Amino acid sequence: MRRPVRRPRHPDVPGTRMTARDLVAESVAGILQRPARTALTVLGTLLGVGAFVAILGLTATARGQISSDFTVLAATQVTVKDVGAPDQGGQAAAAARYEFPDDADQRVERLNGAVHAGTYWQVFKTPPDVSTRSGPAIGTASGDTQGAEGLTVYAASPGLLRAVGPTLGGGALYNTFHDSRRMHVAVIGSAVARHLGIGSLAARPALFINGTPYTVVGILQDVERLPNLLLSVMIPERTARADYGDPAPDYAAAMLIQTRVGAAQLIARQAPLALRPDRPDHLQAVPPPSPHALQDSVTGSLDSLFLLLAGITLVIGTVGIANTTLVSVLERTGEIGLRRSLGARPRHIAAQFLTESAALGTLGGLLGTAVSIVVTLSVALAHHWTAILDPWTTLPAPLIGTLTGLLAGAYPALRAARIEPAEALRR
Amino acid sequence: MKIPGRRRRPAGPAAEALPAQSADVLPDPGVEVLPDPGADALPDPGADALPGAAVDAVIELAAAARTYPGPPPVHALRPTDLTVRRGEYLAVAGPSGSGKSTLLNVIGLVDRPTGGHYRLDGIDTGPLAEADRTALRGRRIGLVFQAFHLLPYRTATENVMLAQVYLATPRDRRRTEAVDALLAVGLGHRLDALPSAMSGGERQRVAIARALVNRPSLLLCDEPTGNLDSASAARVMDTLDALNAGGITLVVITHDPAVAARAHRSITLRDGQLSEDETKLSTGRPR
Repeated sequence: MRRPVRRPRHPDVPGTRMTARDLVAESVAGILQRPARTALTVLGTLLGVGAFVAILGLTATARGQISSDFTVLAATQVTVKDVGAPDQGGQAAAAARYEFPDDADQRVERLNGAVHAGTYWQVFKTPPDVSTRSGPAIGTASGDTQGAEGLTVYAASPGLLRAVGPTLGGGALYNTFHDSRRMHVAVIGSAVARHLGIGSLAARPALFINGTPYTVVGILQDVERLPNLLLSVMIPERTARADYGDPAPDYAAAMLIQTRVGAAQLIARQAPLALRPDRPDHLQAVPPPSPHALQDSVTGSLDSLFLLLAGITLVIGTVGIANTTLVSVLERTGEIGLRRSLGARPRHIAAQFLTESAALGTLGGLLGTAVSIVVTLSVALAHHWTAILDPWTTLPAPLIGTLTGLLAGAYPALRAARIEPAEALRR
Repeated sequence: MKIPGRRRRPAGPAAEALPAQSADVLPDPGVEVLPDPGADALPDPGADALPGAAVDAVIELAAAARTYPGPPPVHALRPTDLTVRRGEYLAVAGPSGSGKSTLLNVIGLVDRPTGGHYRLDGIDTGPLAEADRTALRGRRIGLVFQAFHLLPYRTATENVMLAQVYLATPRDRRRTEAVDALLAVGLGHRLDALPSAMSGGERQRVAIARALVNRPSLLLCDEPTGNLDSASAARVMDTLDALNAGGITLVVITHDPAVAARAHRSITLRDGQLSEDETKLSTGRPR
């Protein structure tokens, strides 16, 4: 091939040139000449860019959803419900029952992975009369501060008080000793203490539930689980059963188990059997909604896998554009020769084919981004999620298509520029 | 081998003459050239240093030769002298393999001679940069091919307008100029027809209009009737006759004696060697 020697330009011959508008017009015409081929070529970039944006959008959306309801607390909590005999119908369900064994706390806490466990239920159907005086509450100068209605009384095993993750505001929790002796002691929530005007436990204050006195041994400042306990009075489980009988069917007992991270599913499977080896079906364990921590890490590795796939699709799209442009160059050799004879310089030819492939890539990028946004929105809508699309990854996505096109068009454009007009015109 | 075309300036006699040419362009109103836009910037041919230079020559070949490197080297065009004057109608005949295509490529500036000089409109093309050769080709030469080379998805007018792209003709002038060129070849009724809807003769005339639209100094036709039936070929040749009668300088390369016979002057190539047809010379009427 003859390489031109660089020579000074001739002053009398104005050089040929190609305006930007002509360049775009010629490239667009080249693309529109073969719409079917253009569509197929664009498809590769469309899929690549689309997969890229959709994966980023979907994972961001899903992760936002997961992190909104994912907490360590929820992941380490198992609830065991007392569902009674499942096959006995209305009669059994109507009767008060307590399916947990006496040593329920200890049985579950022995399981590997369980930390604390305890049973609880609401004692009274109707709000009991709770006050710091033995008699019926009578309005005094200090108003209602010493008596309150509408407080809830919970029977709670000593294990439960530990399982809720308590912060003590004063005194101590009652323990197995109090429970087994069926002692009249109570732990109250901080809100109740404020309500009843109980500040210090030094004087061993008492409160009366429907006239029965209970010594307040501790005040719960805060709890991590079952926050309604802060508005309640807790009495030992066996005391409650001795005084008021088994829980009513509407307020059936439940067990709260605090587990170690990752052990919740295991404990949920084991707890009913550990509690009632004879009748495990009378108890129903509710594990956390799903093992989110695990899911999250799995999603993370899936992310990179999908992104890799998107990258591969993009590479295939690039090769597709390169192939189409190369075929187009070979097919249009005559046209290239003609254009050279009409005054086109090699750079004009190269620019035209480069613009064509860049336009193809941009078209694919735009369509791919649009499609992937629709996909992300649809998926989010179907799951009632909030769609999350990062503008920093979504908006420049069509440019990925442009880059793909430029990259793909480089070699064919070079080939086209090197075509000798003499040979091209011989065809 | 002597390759003047590759020599850097200032080297050859022609190269030395170039600055003088450009200095003479403006102040010499005495030299009247044809009202050809290609001649606007023509240097005064009197300043020409080459032997045998004619006052109104469009093509001047002085010992121009083209050898394809071997082994063995092929002397496609042996050293050739040829002068084509403005308004001439020249046919280049010869069997295939005689060097017609090589001569066409050299004259059409798609190939460089490996020896001798080639002056187009008085401009020595040897020392020109490739971009200038391309510019000369686009502005001063209209090429017509045997295979038409029309773009299949564009109408006749759009095909003609393609020639204006690389000269950056203002867009508002393009369509009217293209239509004028189509009218000049008698295709006023086919302005918006696609090539697939046209006969071969009509296609070739669209190609001729495309070659004419930039008003070149020279219309260079390569086997213009090679793909046509005799009736269509006759129409095309009539068109070329009419154009030449209107002042266009024509060089037609053909192996068809009937086509060559219509030219006013005919030369024959044989094995790269050029010979003038003496009988034709008498009837030749260079304007």
